[in-house]
Amino acid sequence: MKSKTEAKRLAILKAASEVFREVGFERASMSDIRARLGGSKETLYNYFPSKEKLFFEVMHQAKTHELEETAGSLNSEADDLKQELLRFGQKFLIVLYSPEAIGIRHLSISESRRSNSGKLTFKRAVVPVEKQMAEFLKKAMKRGELRTADAKIAAIHLLSLLESELLQRVLLGVFDSVKPEMISGAARRAVDAFISGYQRR
Amino acid sequence: MQLKKSDIKRQAILEHAYRLFRAYGFDKTSMAEITAKAGGSKATVYSHFSSKEELFVECMMAALENYMPDTLKHLDASRADPGIALLNFGSSVLNFICSSEQLEVRRLIIAEAARSGTGKLFFDKITALRAQLATFLAACMASGSLRRADPGLAAEQLGAMLEAEMLEPLLLQVREDSPDERETARAAKRAVDAFLRAYAPMRPLALQLKQCPN
Repeated sequence: MKSKTEAKRLAILKAASEVFREVGFERASMSDIRARLGGSKETLYNYFPSKEKLFFEVMHQAKTHELEETAGSLNSEADDLKQELLRFGQKFLIVLYSPEAIGIRHLSISESRRSNSGKLTFKRAVVPVEKQMAEFLKKAMKRGELRTADAKIAAIHLLSLLESELLQRVLLGVFDSVKPEMISGAARRAVDAFISGYQRR
Repeated sequence: MQLKKSDIKRQAILEHAYRLFRAYGFDKTSMAEITAKAGGSKATVYSHFSSKEELFVECMMAALENYMPDTLKHLDASRADPGIALLNFGSSVLNFICSSEQLEVRRLIIAEAARSGTGKLFFDKITALRAQLATFLAACMASGSLRRADPGLAAEQLGAMLEAEMLEPLLLQVREDSPDERETARAAKRAVDAFLRAYAPMRPLALQLKQCPN
């Protein structure tokens, strides 16, 4: 069972997410969120000291959930390994390069010295995906569809290949938004390189 | 070689700007302050750098640009095995980017890039450096030691795999200590190994058939 404080925290996140969605981050105020929620302003500030912190948490929750779903959807029974990786790769990049996820990543890197935002992002968003991918690849190695190798390293290589074309452009703000056709091309080229690098010979 | 007076001045401006930007960030550092530290007039500073943005990019990239010539020496297409060249190159790059100072620079670059509009300038610099790796890979493709493919894409993929194991945990401060040379060499080896397999030259059809059972 969730503790009372955890339930309260979740209720705050839900109310905040509704308010942000309705009026946008700029116009949303802590008072609006408190009004939606009931209870005192002090309680709200006890949980989240600023609107920015609250926003970070709301976005984080939403995107972490999507990433988990994407990684969780990896199906070891799929007929075609390459197609399955491609399907995953496209979904993964769509989530990762959404404006919200880019915002989180930006903050996590630039604030990593001052807060635990970097550690949080790594623990919630990076580690679980690497783990699920490693398990998936390990099974493919056991079936003989890929050569035997360290599955964790293979997973990290695949994920970095998926990001190889777009990550730097995204982090440096070289383009405003990532278009779907960029993602599908990048995913295809990454999966091609990965399969050639890890296939049996 | 003796530096010209204007080169010495340029160097002094870069060093003071680097220190101030790292201590106070982009917004809170002014050209006036940089001028005051470096000495001379604002006009002199502007004769070397057309804007604060340009100065920011130049001073943040200076260390990397000084380091690269030695690193790029590993990429000599006329010599021996591309695997060894890439391994030495990869280890050298990793040792540099995983140093705590360079990690701090990278965080600052990323933090300021989108806000201050300097991202494109950084991206152009990185692209120019990556192009040198692509040139080497193109030569390997031409000589048949790698299969023919888009060398620019191959360079991006190799770069990403080299950084894959270590950069993100370091940038996010999940890991605080920089890796030592043995560790970077191992990571580089794993990345170069996967890369060489991915870009191995196609085997002639006859050979492939011979290895198939029946």
